[in-house]
Amino acid sequence: MILITGGAYQGKTEYVRRQFPDIPITDGAACLFDEAATAKCINQYHVLIQRLHAAGSDPVAWTEQLCAENPECIILLDEIGCGIIPLERDERIRRELTGICGCIIAKHSDAVIRLVCGVPNAIKGDLL
Amino acid sequence: MMILITGGSKCGKSGFAESLLQAHTGPKIYLATMQPYGAEADIAISRHRKQREGKGFQTLEQYTDLHTIELPAHSAVLLECIGNLTANELFREKPADDCVSHIIRGLRHLHDTSDLFVAVTNQVGSDGIAYATGTALYIAAIGAVNQSAARLADQVYECVYGIPVLCKGGKPC
Repeated sequence: MILITGGAYQGKTEYVRRQFPDIPITDGAACLFDEAATAKCINQYHVLIQRLHAAGSDPVAWTEQLCAENPECIILLDEIGCGIIPLERDERIRRELTGICGCIIAKHSDAVIRLVCGVPNAIKGDLL
Repeated sequence: MMILITGGSKCGKSGFAESLLQAHTGPKIYLATMQPYGAEADIAISRHRKQREGKGFQTLEQYTDLHTIELPAHSAVLLECIGNLTANELFREKPADDCVSHIIRGLRHLHDTSDLFVAVTNQVGSDGIAYATGTALYIAAIGAVNQSAARLADQVYECVYGIPVLCKGGKPC
């Protein structure tokens, strides 16, 4: 498993396209959940978490299952936790779920790459 | 020795901080600054309690005025967290004239009177939202406290989804 992270618009998708030109990217913001479960690469995983939560599924259990059953998956997940605690309860829950899921994915990943201004840094494992 | 750990929400700061105190043989003090107001605070507190169960911590709850704490000799202290502490000091009934200096005084005291001081803080300034005065003051205060704390610290880490990224100082032994 590989985790690609960083803030929004830091070049994560471009980086994956460059490194893995033959791997199809599944859009976590729009795909079917079953489609994501078997995808080779999931983009917008933070939106997928939000969608799972809104649909009444547990994103943490879903993520654990993904790590167990699809261990070669490449996951693109925005860093979203570095702000003020949101006023809306659902937003607070979503933000915490994203953190918890991100820690699970990072733990299962051989490499975690963080992009800042398009520049990749390996914070776990080696650069791809 | 002081280590500062920062990062966003649920990024594994506490688990990492606890691991840094594991090898310490003297007293281990968990300094809790979160005031138990409301159901969500209760959940957070019990989650943290469960996480540090069996790790040999004595819990000390102190919400403000950390400079008054008397630590046992050769203690390792885990302060959790500067975010709560800053809110407690800023929004208390009679805040200090200079809240940031008041907080730093407490941190410096813990730094000077412990063998190992691990402080957990928060990154709160990166959501690009313009907040109303109270919250804006809070963001400015915690930013100033974090900068002073990082100057005081021997090592600074930022946790990213559970991975500690070293920002200052050498690797721990």
